Amino acid sequence: MSIIFDEIKEAVIDGDEDLAVELAEKVIAEGLDLVEAIEKGYIKGIEEVGASWKTGEAFLPDVMMAADAMKTGMGILEAELAAQGGKEHEDKGKIVLGTVEGDIHDIGKNIVGALLTAAGFKVYDIGIDQKPEAFVAKADEVGATIIAASSLLTTTMRAQGELIEYLKEKGIRDKYKVIIGGGPTSQKWANEIKADGWVETADEAIVLCKELLA
Amino acid sequence: MLPKYDILTDEQIQTIHDNTMRILQEVGVEFSYEPAIEIFRKHGQKVDGHRVYFDREFVEEMVEGAPSEFTLHARNPEHNLICGGNNTIFMPGYGAPFIHDVDGNRRNATIQDYDNFVKLAGASKNLHMTGGNVVEPQDVPDETRHMSMMYSHITNSDKCFMGSASGYEKAKDSIEITALLHGGLDVIKENPALVCLVNSVTPLKFDDRMLGGLMAYAEAGQATIIASLVMSGSTGPATIAGALSVQNAEVLAGITLGQCINPGTPVIYGSTSAITDMASGALAIGNPECALFISASAQLARFYGVPSRGGGGLTDSKIVDAQSGYESMMTLFAASATGINFVLHSAGILQYYMAMSFEKFMQDDEIAGMVSRYIKGIDMTEDKLAFDVISKVGPGGHYLTQKHTRKNFKVEFYKPSLSDRQSYDGWANNKLTANQRGNQKWQDVVENYVSPVLDPDVKQKIDEYIAKRSKELL
Ligand code: B12
Repeated sequence: MSIIFDEIKEAVIDGDEDLAVELAEKVIAEGLDLVEAIEKGYIKGIEEVGASWKTGEAFLPDVMMAADAMKTGMGILEAELAAQGGKEHEDKGKIVLGTVEGDIHDIGKNIVGALLTAAGFKVYDIGIDQKPEAFVAKADEVGATIIAASSLLTTTMRAQGELIEYLKEKGIRDKYKVIIGGGPTSQKWANEIKADGWVETADEAIVLCKELLA
Repeated sequence: MLPKYDILTDEQIQTIHDNTMRILQEVGVEFSYEPAIEIFRKHGQKVDGHRVYFDREFVEEMVEGAPSEFTLHARNPEHNLICGGNNTIFMPGYGAPFIHDVDGNRRNATIQDYDNFVKLAGASKNLHMTGGNVVEPQDVPDETRHMSMMYSHITNSDKCFMGSASGYEKAKDSIEITALLHGGLDVIKENPALVCLVNSVTPLKFDDRMLGGLMAYAEAGQATIIASLVMSGSTGPATIAGALSVQNAEVLAGITLGQCINPGTPVIYGSTSAITDMASGALAIGNPECALFISASAQLARFYGVPSRGGGGLTDSKIVDAQSGYESMMTLFAASATGINFVLHSAGILQYYMAMSFEKFMQDDEIAGMVSRYIKGIDMTEDKLAFDVISKVGPGGHYLTQKHTRKNFKVEFYKPSLSDRQSYDGWANNKLTANQRGNQKWQDVVENYVSPVLDPDVKQKIDEYIAKRSKELL
């Protein structure tokens, strides 16, 4: 039984999405413990990749493909868990991530998403060019506690402030921690718009989210 | 002038071309801008939603119609520039939001910084244009920022400059103001005076804003750089040949659109492709792979018979140091030796286009001077072969007191302005690094700079236009 968990772990480490899905289906078909498969397989795999990333042995394609394999495979088991009415697997926190309105840069956002996923957070990526409404609708739907907004242009940075204004207007500012990032942003800017956090790199974003949810 | 160096064989160029045509035919390019889709439909291209699938012959024919060179007109005709052929045009960096100071501290760029860079480019013997969007001046409102920037180029120098391409409206303002400077829209339609930068959205897309800019420039007969920045490994394949093909497909699609709008309108083949640093995801520009993209792009543009844009003094360093020097020299040298015509980002760039630095500007100005001297090559005329003076001095003796020497050294030797060639003691008096020397030097140049006089009538018209538009926009 533990052999398949090892296989899942290896599939995640190899970034093999197809295999990660196939093994999830096998777990269900064989009636194995879903939570155990998640924790000893998918989570274990991504933790190992996260560790090699930290030591500089793994590179972005390794981490991002592993995050994708984990997300898709684990998604199948989670859906099955929900269908069976079982207890949800505990994640480290839910985060809605997107690039603000008027901005289509997404490489940095994708990296932040993958690294947060690899660190055990549940990340909902709503894509590029997104209005405050879209961030909030998703956060509301999935019960997220962190909203993360990316901006790469001096001309779209102010949309990060508008997102915070929008939360205030709706009277739900306290419901979420808002973090921002992207090339032209800075701690000074985050202070100005009263964001809950800013960091320069995706690695630091993991530390920041852990702190905010502690 | 040195012959331009080719890095690809004829077969290799043909291979890239074939791969590109296959991408354009089978994968297609997405255009979000409706008028563009309409144009392609009218020209009989297969359109599916926003995706356009191109006919090979159509693209080849359209690109063929683009001029191989054109003259860019300056307020002072002495600064007119031929874009194309064997010419190399240097100018400052473009678009950076930050300034890094001499100690490596970072701050937001301002309009004062903008003016200073334009003055430095105006004063430089090595830079031919004052560029465009030399920094992002964050202390002026973004609704009217494009006009503030134009105004700086127009009032601080009489060299050629660039205009905005962020949407049809801003492009129009740039064109109108330039027309006022040169005496009318019809004058600049005949004699192009403005260049703008239109970027594809890699991979294989073009967005509304940029195409609006392209429309306005093509209609007015002003020049457009159609540029692609493939981040090899993230926004494009991790192989140079693959990324080059994606870039080529995008640029050719853009050039084709420009030629459909206004046949014969001047366009420039642009590349800023480079690689992704796989440990952080950041763009990395100061490397041999980037130099290969630059070199191949120069050659591809020659193959298509259009002027090229690429390269610059490119670095990932955060301050003027050994890294900024060796990386910038590699990329500016590659651009010049392989025949890039229009070298945006020649001076000032630090940290993969995120910052400009005045000290770096002085470093790159020096590199530009050295590279220009190198590509000028060796003069082989009778007098330069120097037989007479060789025979006069004969074996032994020296040349320091020869007329031939006195007459020739100034033309043959590049005179450095930043490099230190002093004795040890001379240097040891202050022990200044290139960074520190650059810091003193740029301040001197700005302090002593005198802006060329602008005709008061023309200035008034431009002032009025900007005042009127600002009222509408703010
Ligand atoms: C690639 C690129 C593009 C691509 C984007 C492709 C894509 N799929 O994303 C294309 C070609 C489409 C593009 C278009 C434009 N771009 Co652009 N682009 C870049 C470039 C070269 C790299 C960006 C990148 O992906 N970097 C790599 C990633 C990994 O870095 P990152 O995004 O900064 O993300 C890291 C951190 O910031 C952080 N982070 C990011 N998001 C978040 C979010 C949170 C919550 C947190 C905590 C952290 C975080 O983590 C990431 C990993 O460490 C930058 C210059 C640069 N070197 O950054 C210019 C740049 C951002 N672009 C610029 C401009 C001007 C534009 C255009 C307007 C036109 C143009 N001239 O190119 C259009 C605008 C389109 C639009 N409406 O958005 C300017 C912006 C200047 C300014 N005034 O702000 C820059 C700085 C280049 C320049 N010097 O001119 N661009």
